[in-house]
Amino acid sequence: MALLVVILSVFYIAMVVVWVSQVFFKMDDQEVKVQHQSPPSVYDCSADPSVLQDLKEVASLIEGGAYTSEVQKIYRAMRLTMKLRSKLKASVLSAFLNYVLTSGSEVHTRLSSYLPQDRHDSQVHVETPATESKHLLPELEMFCYLLVLIFLIDQKKYNKAKACSSESIVRLKSKNSITADVLASRLYFYYSLSFELAGDLAEIRGNLLALYRSATIHHNKFSQETLLNLLLRNYLHYHLYDQAEKFRSKAHHFKALSNQQFCRYLLYQGKIKTIQLEYTDAKDCLLQAAQKGPTIAVGFKIQCNKWAVIVHLLLGEIPERTIFTQKRMEKALRPYFELTNAFRVGDLELFRTVAEKFSSTFSQDRTSNLINRVRHNVIRTGIKNISVSYARISLADIAKKLNLDFENTVGDAENIVAKAIRDGAIDATLDHANGWLVSKATGDVYSTNEPQIAFDTRINLCLNMHNEALRALRLPRGLINKGVAT
Amino acid sequence: MDPKITEVSQTFERFKAAFVRNDFDTCTRLLSQLKVLLTAFTSLPPLFQETSNAIHELTIARDIYEHAIVLSVKMEDQDAFERDFFQLKPYYTDARGRLPASPQEYPILGLNLLRLLVQNRIAEFHTELELLSQSALDNPCIKHAVELEQSFMEGAYHRVLSARQTVPDATYAYFMDLLAKTVRDEIAGCSEKAYDRLSTSDARQILLFSSDKELLQYVEKEHPEWEIKDGFIIFQKVKDSVPCKEIPSLQLITQTLSYARELERIV
Repeated sequence: MALLVVILSVFYIAMVVVWVSQVFFKMDDQEVKVQHQSPPSVYDCSADPSVLQDLKEVASLIEGGAYTSEVQKIYRAMRLTMKLRSKLKASVLSAFLNYVLTSGSEVHTRLSSYLPQDRHDSQVHVETPATESKHLLPELEMFCYLLVLIFLIDQKKYNKAKACSSESIVRLKSKNSITADVLASRLYFYYSLSFELAGDLAEIRGNLLALYRSATIHHNKFSQETLLNLLLRNYLHYHLYDQAEKFRSKAHHFKALSNQQFCRYLLYQGKIKTIQLEYTDAKDCLLQAAQKGPTIAVGFKIQCNKWAVIVHLLLGEIPERTIFTQKRMEKALRPYFELTNAFRVGDLELFRTVAEKFSSTFSQDRTSNLINRVRHNVIRTGIKNISVSYARISLADIAKKLNLDFENTVGDAENIVAKAIRDGAIDATLDHANGWLVSKATGDVYSTNEPQIAFDTRINLCLNMHNEALRALRLPRGLINKGVAT
Repeated sequence: MDPKITEVSQTFERFKAAFVRNDFDTCTRLLSQLKVLLTAFTSLPPLFQETSNAIHELTIARDIYEHAIVLSVKMEDQDAFERDFFQLKPYYTDARGRLPASPQEYPILGLNLLRLLVQNRIAEFHTELELLSQSALDNPCIKHAVELEQSFMEGAYHRVLSARQTVPDATYAYFMDLLAKTVRDEIAGCSEKAYDRLSTSDARQILLFSSDKELLQYVEKEHPEWEIKDGFIIFQKVKDSVPCKEIPSLQLITQTLSYARELERIV
């Protein structure tokens, strides 16, 4: 009977693996297609005029997208803009503003005031056709604000960026369409970023909450998602885990319209759960975030992995070695690697030295409190190692081996071991009269249900991954339909 | 000076006098009066209006709540402690930049950590801990609570109990006594799993009783399933020594069916 089940399950899992891999290939194909669509002109722009030309193209793309309510076009426009980001200059920007906005209009004067007035001014005025119709699309206005904002942040003019973003938020409150929603969500992001860089994130918490409320009322899904993440980030920045969790659990269910936002959400959720001792959930969130994160987002992945390693340790598991040998992360994860090593050996002394050696890194990562929590798991692995290797050992020897430094060493060692037995970490009994720990013979693990349970979790993981991959494939089409409907 | 502030400070003086005399009835009566009076101040949380007397009002309100917490500890009322602490918290967090730090801040935060530990609300304990800066963690009051939690999680119960002698503040004693009870329950729970049998004298020592009679009463009340025979406590009955050798057929069937269902969706 049992054998039959195992054979059947092996067959199932093989099927699932094949399907999952197929789905992934499909996804890859799609991504490649998207990349081919982008116009080649983007790559060969070295001089200013071509950058301006590209910006104009992006603007017309946005215009087209806004008229037909096509979210995909706006996405593409945003991607193109990010490629141009490093080439933005004050002169190009003011030329672009002159092109899009009617010079002398309110928006134009306001936006130009943020740009540094340089000596190329006269040259710029040469190419000002300003033949644009008086009617300005809200999407284009948002785009102009976005460009200026990104420019200011890149130039590290955070105070100006703060003013500019606050103004844009006030101006664009009333605009309400699905394409404007995408742009607004980007604006919110840079709004929060500029305040974070300037160091007063707490100031805008009230504003963000108000924006979140109005986004919810208007069913602006993209803004809602971004704002939810920004608020979580805001809370976590000030260690307000309690408030963050309350907000997260009461807020609307996260629909994961954009992969980036979803990754962030998972990371924040993972952090909250770790602090609140829900390690199993935290591990799921953090690992998923690390997997889903885009390959170029190395910093994000490092952060996910750091937290994931600690959650592994807190669960009493030893993280896989491959985590630490990933490309471009090796150096950043080094302290955590040494920590894991100390943990694996179960040597309290070594663990303490590692924690001290890298204490500055850990407090910078805000993980030092968590590492303090790992301490008792280190003791536990030590006990586990001892109980596996000795059939009978005196408590005094255990205390010596574990480097316990208490006054009442033997008594405390006895309690610690008793607790480990109760929590199921080791299978043994204590003999108080003789002061011994007697290990029970370890049974054959294959005679228990253990392998079957492990197998079940793996099958479930594969099935879930398949389902999620399917869902990820389905999403864009649904969105387009919605965009056409509104 | 504002007549309202004068009234509050006068009532507060009377409260403090009663507080020193340990006259709890008068204290609670005056405290509820004070809390009503405080609602008239607009500079207090949640409004935080910038009035001319704001600093003075905030300071006096903070002082009142700090006393209220100590009072609740003296009266051994944990619910009142929790309520008062939540009212006090904004003065430490949101008003931090405007008020000079209170000397009572760390003792009270440490006390709150201890309360969470006693009530076994470890998740909240750690959430509170994250809010504290490095310098706060080095404060003896906070350090005391943090070390207690570590010893408690490790199972070093003797150290938890010996910390009773080194309390940083007299108000901590109440919670430390409560903690001792929790520790005894923990030890009892661990012992029944870890030992096959214990002699009564050893059990008395391990469970920290001073006489055999107390031990027997405790066993009778909390653990009637323990068997006492010939001067030994036998825990054997508690353990389900025979592991289940059957195949969990129902569980297997449900699992296999769910795989089949999922696969059907794929194919």
